[in-house]
Amino acid sequence: MNRRHFLASAAGALAAPALLRNARADEAPFRVKYFPVPEASRSRDVTPCSDGTTMWFNCQGNGKLGRLDPRDGSHRLTDLGPGSAPHGVIVGPDGAAWVTDGGQNAIVRVDNDHKVTVFKLPIKDYTNLNTGVFDKTGIYWFTGQSGYHGRLDPKSGDIAVFKSPGGHGSYGMTVTPQGDVWYASLAGSHIARVDLKTGNARMVEPVTPSQGARRVWSDSKGRIWVSEWNSGNVSMHDPANGSWRAWRLPGQRPRTYSVYVDDKDKVWLTDFGANAIVRFDPATEKFHAFPSDKPNANVRQMDGRPGQAWGGESGTNRLVMIETLQPPA
Amino acid sequence: MIARAALAFLAVMLASSAAADDAALFTPCRACHSLDPSAKIMPGPNLAGLIGRKVAGDPAFDYSPVLQQAREKGRVWTLETLKTFLADPEAMFPAMWMSAQGIRDVAARKALARFIANPVSR
Repeated sequence: MNRRHFLASAAGALAAPALLRNARADEAPFRVKYFPVPEASRSRDVTPCSDGTTMWFNCQGNGKLGRLDPRDGSHRLTDLGPGSAPHGVIVGPDGAAWVTDGGQNAIVRVDNDHKVTVFKLPIKDYTNLNTGVFDKTGIYWFTGQSGYHGRLDPKSGDIAVFKSPGGHGSYGMTVTPQGDVWYASLAGSHIARVDLKTGNARMVEPVTPSQGARRVWSDSKGRIWVSEWNSGNVSMHDPANGSWRAWRLPGQRPRTYSVYVDDKDKVWLTDFGANAIVRFDPATEKFHAFPSDKPNANVRQMDGRPGQAWGGESGTNRLVMIETLQPPA
Repeated sequence: MIARAALAFLAVMLASSAAADDAALFTPCRACHSLDPSAKIMPGPNLAGLIGRKVAGDPAFDYSPVLQQAREKGRVWTLETLKTFLADPEAMFPAMWMSAQGIRDVAARKALARFIANPVSR
């Protein structure tokens, strides 16, 4: 789809003005920009589109996948099907968006021309689909919060569903540069590595008991960063040596919902207790908070492009972008 | 006599089946909530004894601002408010931290509310 087509079909909306945020002296400045998407009920997970410019975002409350053009704030919503309640979205090796749709108990593919293909799970149980990733061979792996994980082969459409060890809770998922697939179990308070051949998962316990591991994201070294909902920590597991480290987010009552690691290995977290996106620099072990300019932002997931960290404010129906600016020469 | 016994058996089986269906409705909720008062820390508040309790009334749970405000206003969970909540949680408490879809089917909604309210479900 070209730009003219996109704009012709989009519901126009101007982005909110950008806010420049000062950083510490040793860091580049940041620019925060908000994009209202008022027709998107409960906008949540986001991911960059393969066109290099636009952003996909899920509308969990009204069963649509949105696409925002950040150049002018225009956006278009695509209906995903009856009963849809999309949770996670990522872009596959085919360039299309792949959605974990809890409402339809299905994986939904949406290409850049907005053609929708639905892959229903082959089981009747309500899996409460959550997050998906592609492994290095092009297989799509997903979690279901009712205690499931599974895989979909996009070429054949074959789907296999596995019961996760430890029962309910399978939530965020990530793939490492080495090709390993990990997920977090929110109710189970563990992370787990999936055997890509058998589908079996091996649980690994973080150091903090009952921490509520919600989401995971790998850095460039294959270390697994974990957002801990119950403890308010961010933790890091290095599978190479089995080690763990954990840091508590700043503030009185942090509630760490999501984690995203950018191309520079900086760690972006969302903290519901502080109503903020929080950037953690593993090199200095320092946090930098970006409170929302509206209450109850509730950013439930982040993703991004080099220099841009994105999230969906599910409580305000806006997308937010934090741009890391180049320091003056 | 045999017919009466068969009817009684059928009634027990139907009741048992209905209870199993109600329990199945609570399955997705178990990812964050427990009805066991002695359960460990969960991602969401404990729901044992919910009916008659103040909104945001689990002392061990740190609630979202919208639910804390409801508690300060003295709102209390009843069977009716629970049914309304289950129909569309975010319509009742906008921007709450919990992210869940409403239950469209009226009968399922009633059954789930009944299951949560019933002490036997613990």
